[in-house]
Amino acid sequence: MWPCQPDDGGVDEHFAVLGYNVKSSDMAGVAQKLEQLEEAMGSFHQEGLSQLADETVHYNPSDIASWLESMISGFNPIPEFDSSSDPFLESSASVNSQMPIDLDFGSDLIAIPGKAVYPRTQPPPPEQNQPQPKKLKTSIAAVAPPPPATPLLVDSQENGIRLVHTLMACAEAVQQENFKLAEALVKNIGFLAVSQAGAMRKVATYFAEALARRIYKLYPANQQDSAFNDMLQMHFYETCPYLKFAHFTANQAILEAFAGKSRVHVIDFSMKQGMQWPALLQALALRPGGPPSFRLTGIGPPSHDETDHLQEVGWRLAQLAESINVEFEYRGFVANSLADLDAAMFEIREGETVAVNSIFELHQLLARPGAIEKVLQVVSELKPEILTVVEQEANHNGSAFLDRFTESLHYYSTLFDSLESCGGGGEEAVSVQDKVMSEVYLGRQICNVVACEGVDRVERHETLEQWKSRFGSAGFEAVHLGSNAYKQASMLLALFAGGDGYRVDENNGCLMLGWHTRPLIATSAWKLR
Amino acid sequence: MLFLQRVVPLHTWILISTFKLSYNLLRRPDGTFNRDLNEYLDRNVTANAVPVDGMYSFDTVDRLTGLANRIYLPARDNEPQLGIVEVEKPLSTSEVVPVIVFFHGGSFVHSSASSAIYDTFCRRLVKTCKAAVVSVNYRRSPEHRYPCAYDDGLTALKWVNSRAWLRSGKENDLKVHIYLAGDSSGGNIAHHVALRAADEGVEVLGNILLHPLFGGEERTESEKRLDGKYFVRIQERDWYWRAYLPEGEDRDHPACNVFGPRSLSLEGLSFPKSLVVVAGLDLLQDWQIGYVEGLKKYGHDVKLLYLEKATIGFYFLPNNEHFESLMDEIKSFIQS
Repeated sequence: MWPCQPDDGGVDEHFAVLGYNVKSSDMAGVAQKLEQLEEAMGSFHQEGLSQLADETVHYNPSDIASWLESMISGFNPIPEFDSSSDPFLESSASVNSQMPIDLDFGSDLIAIPGKAVYPRTQPPPPEQNQPQPKKLKTSIAAVAPPPPATPLLVDSQENGIRLVHTLMACAEAVQQENFKLAEALVKNIGFLAVSQAGAMRKVATYFAEALARRIYKLYPANQQDSAFNDMLQMHFYETCPYLKFAHFTANQAILEAFAGKSRVHVIDFSMKQGMQWPALLQALALRPGGPPSFRLTGIGPPSHDETDHLQEVGWRLAQLAESINVEFEYRGFVANSLADLDAAMFEIREGETVAVNSIFELHQLLARPGAIEKVLQVVSELKPEILTVVEQEANHNGSAFLDRFTESLHYYSTLFDSLESCGGGGEEAVSVQDKVMSEVYLGRQICNVVACEGVDRVERHETLEQWKSRFGSAGFEAVHLGSNAYKQASMLLALFAGGDGYRVDENNGCLMLGWHTRPLIATSAWKLR
Repeated sequence: MLFLQRVVPLHTWILISTFKLSYNLLRRPDGTFNRDLNEYLDRNVTANAVPVDGMYSFDTVDRLTGLANRIYLPARDNEPQLGIVEVEKPLSTSEVVPVIVFFHGGSFVHSSASSAIYDTFCRRLVKTCKAAVVSVNYRRSPEHRYPCAYDDGLTALKWVNSRAWLRSGKENDLKVHIYLAGDSSGGNIAHHVALRAADEGVEVLGNILLHPLFGGEERTESEKRLDGKYFVRIQERDWYWRAYLPEGEDRDHPACNVFGPRSLSLEGLSFPKSLVVVAGLDLLQDWQIGYVEGLKKYGHDVKLLYLEKATIGFYFLPNNEHFESLMDEIKSFIQS
């Protein structure tokens, strides 16, 4: 006797493989909405339709029902298209349209255009507390599928495949604790790597070194030197668009969350050199109705020298804020780990709108049991309007060493490939030093993933899917990033990366930046349910 | 609409209507296209080198176009499930493993090899035909017009033909056994790539055209009869041709009207045998049937599979008899 399939809450399987989220029980409803829209659109001529598309923000297109609903509810017959009106002035007059504005892209401090700069006149995006699509229940306990692997071959790499196979054979030997074999293989890799060119050689060299450290138990020292790491990250920021994308998309979400608020407080878990904040300050300075009063709390690790980096960064930002007339307050917190923080420390004020921001920080917490849960608990106690998170889109935290090795090999190969293509676009050429330092930056991550274990292994990247369930358990639900954020991120890429192979992809309301077809980082935004 | 829903299964109706709706928002009357919104709305999936359902996939970047083509290979029984890409050994040294070079549809404008609908379809092809599949990303219009798609198709074909790891057959007689396939604009591309392949001496064993995109200045009976009835309007078809063909050209251009007033002769050409699948509710069927007749006239081997009650896009969902017929037909076409 097979148990009955649930007939509600079940996501339709046929649509799921095609990338759509449609509940089986809702199909008739979706069909009805499609008909409704078809009818309404019939009265438009093509010009009006594409104009409408340009003016509407779309969210989470996988959820067909809510996508249709957003168009139905936002759908007012537009009066005859008036070609004489200035679209940039129209926004305050028109009832249901949002217009992106083009601010100055030329300066270093890129202000963020987009609907967030104008007060919302459209009803907020449709209910985003969709339940997590449940897996279709089967009567037989499903075996968890192995984690996917996404290698990307750049044509000349076919002869690099042998090198990849040798690396994986070596990793397998390490997993089986057959260190004699591993040793022989790692020496072989050295020879093979030399005959490769470009990215493949560099990646192979870093992975071989990391394997050697693991085999000979020569664990890397100084992995926690934050000043050095910050310096490396600055070069990485200059070389390629990943960090710029991260800051840009997170800022976009924060700006939207701050719309109409007069007192705001950003808590940055990843303060470092504070590179994310000038652009946000600039955008807030330019919003109509004027900027809010802005408070920034920056968290950073203790410094190894005499200087107080956190305070210096804060001071520079204060100067900038003053120059653009934004009321600014700053506080720096030194903490060895985010898990050492408590909500009370932040002294959240009455009437203050809070945004918590974390760029490539949360995965480190996975090295200690209970840490991520503690931090998410603290975040929820802060009652933030929004939590913005950017993380590497990869599972480098699997329990089996070989899985971690394989996944990270493919991931960093693609990352290094993308670095090779950097320096072509953008306003300034990327210096050799920037590139080399970026490689060192990534090389340290590789070493950590492969050679370290326990609390030392901090590069415990996990995929968006995995983070979703963590955030869900902590009481958060997704705030969807829309088509306007997507479009602006694409424009940013075209500006900074010459668009050379970089792609933005929308995935269940979140945005991912990848190189060609391989997503590499994911930006997501969250709020309390 | 309700009548249409009775003819077309509900899933297919919802899927194709959703595409139709999105595409309506993207085409602008001045011929430009909302590319960003198109990419945003498209549902993509990544390749997966870990075998699933007996096959694995990986992407390879073509330096010429900067686009990533997707390769699907049958998983080998004796290899560990490790996500290893096998590019050192041939597909088989005991039997023939066909390689299908697939061109996705989208009227030359939409979709890509990463689109979920096409990734799924290619996987079904691998399974049914026990073949390897190479899904080609060709440069799309209106940003890249004729002949970019054909150039990219030919480049991909030659690349496939020269891969040692795509060869199969008996040990002393290894070669790449190539079939070209495509739906909608992909079918059109398959035809034109086969033409060029014939010219350049690259052997193509067969062409599979799934409601291919052909047309002309004339308005055929089927176009008039079915205009606006089953998801497609002639007006839209015109827009896509204007976006693909060189500026100032009309639909009698030989890329579009293959056997029309400006057509090339296929006499004596080493053109592969063809399987042409026509959906009985597709307004372009007169052009597709005309194509079949044109091939016959030049003495080429062609089979027509006419699916009376099928609409465009019927093959995206497997839950109907048209899909079954299609897969059976493709399988025997390749095996014969």
